[in-house]
Amino acid sequence: MHATGLAAPAGTPRLRKWPSKRRVPVSQPGMADPHQFFDDTSSAPSRGYGGQPSPGGLGYPPSSSDAAFLAAPMSNMAMVYGSSLAAQGKELVDKNIDRFIPVSKLKYYFAVDTVYVGKKLGLLVFPYLHQDWEVQYQQDTPVAPRFDINAPDLYIPAMAFITYILVAGLALGTQDRFSPDLLGLQASSALAWLTLEVVAILLSLYLVTVNTDLTTIDLVAFLGYKYVGMIGGVLTGLLFGKIGYYLVLAWCCVSIFVFMIRTLRLKILAQAAAEGVPVRGARNQLRMYLTMAVAAAQPVLMYWLTFHLVR
Amino acid sequence: MAFTLYSLMQAALLCVNAIAVLHEERFLKNIGWGTDQGIGGFGEEPGIKSQLMNLIRSVRTVMRVPLIIVNSITIVLLLLFG
Repeated sequence: MHATGLAAPAGTPRLRKWPSKRRVPVSQPGMADPHQFFDDTSSAPSRGYGGQPSPGGLGYPPSSSDAAFLAAPMSNMAMVYGSSLAAQGKELVDKNIDRFIPVSKLKYYFAVDTVYVGKKLGLLVFPYLHQDWEVQYQQDTPVAPRFDINAPDLYIPAMAFITYILVAGLALGTQDRFSPDLLGLQASSALAWLTLEVVAILLSLYLVTVNTDLTTIDLVAFLGYKYVGMIGGVLTGLLFGKIGYYLVLAWCCVSIFVFMIRTLRLKILAQAAAEGVPVRGARNQLRMYLTMAVAAAQPVLMYWLTFHLVR
Repeated sequence: MAFTLYSLMQAALLCVNAIAVLHEERFLKNIGWGTDQGIGGFGEEPGIKSQLMNLIRSVRTVMRVPLIIVNSITIVLLLLFG
């Protein structure tokens, strides 16, 4: 009876973890009715199964032979062993992930709050009145972005990048040019340009032998700030047409240019800029050219990555 | 926009190959870019030219074996998948 009763759901995908043993002729203590398909979990003898969390999940009531299988000590041991194996694996991953991705360093860049994000966005579109661009230090480590508006963060660039992809999809959709793989293409293209920029700047910093504390992640953060202007431009272009797009893009381009120059000047031209002296000398001039080139590449890329979205 | 991460990787592989094939004796010495010709003493800044020569030499030294591996894989994959 049990065999026929259980043969029916055999064709359906099994939701239980443990295979049900249909042919085990066990006399179940709680099995009053041989025609009963489902275990009566309210009665005492099957409490041993009912007490445990259901491994099959999704509310598929197991049969009595399952209860016998699960109550056996072997299954307990197997579950404990499996969970300890999972814990070991997690430990291994946690230990080794720090070698490839500097997780602790990344946490610094995401220590932001709403006030900081608001002020930073304002600074990105209107950097002309800000006076002090130095990052404050606290015993040799830079202060977290939450406490200093000049500190670079990765939250705004990451969010702006994702928003840019979505806005690009929106823009393409309003022009009937949308297809899902285009989104991936936009993302890939923007990421490729970002990578190329980072590599080019790192190469130039190496060639000009600049002794700077500008880390790679800092650089990614600074280069990611241009997505904010791009989003503004495309959105305005969608609302007000090409004129709006060009106006907002021009404004954001100039703002990003000024922002980058003022920020990078402190990082690349450290000694000269700290005194406020106009830079002289061949070495400083080369560094100034490098800063200007990096800052000038931002508006070019901002235009290049958005002009095909606004028709 | 056909500028994808894949084309960036291809370009990077080609560039690194190009740097790795610059022969020290036959070519670089003849144009004055050999690594034994660039030492300007212990001045404060090495200058762009000596930095470039150092970069070429280090790329040649470090990337020799990985380039062999990556090139072989690329050749096989391109032969199979076009």
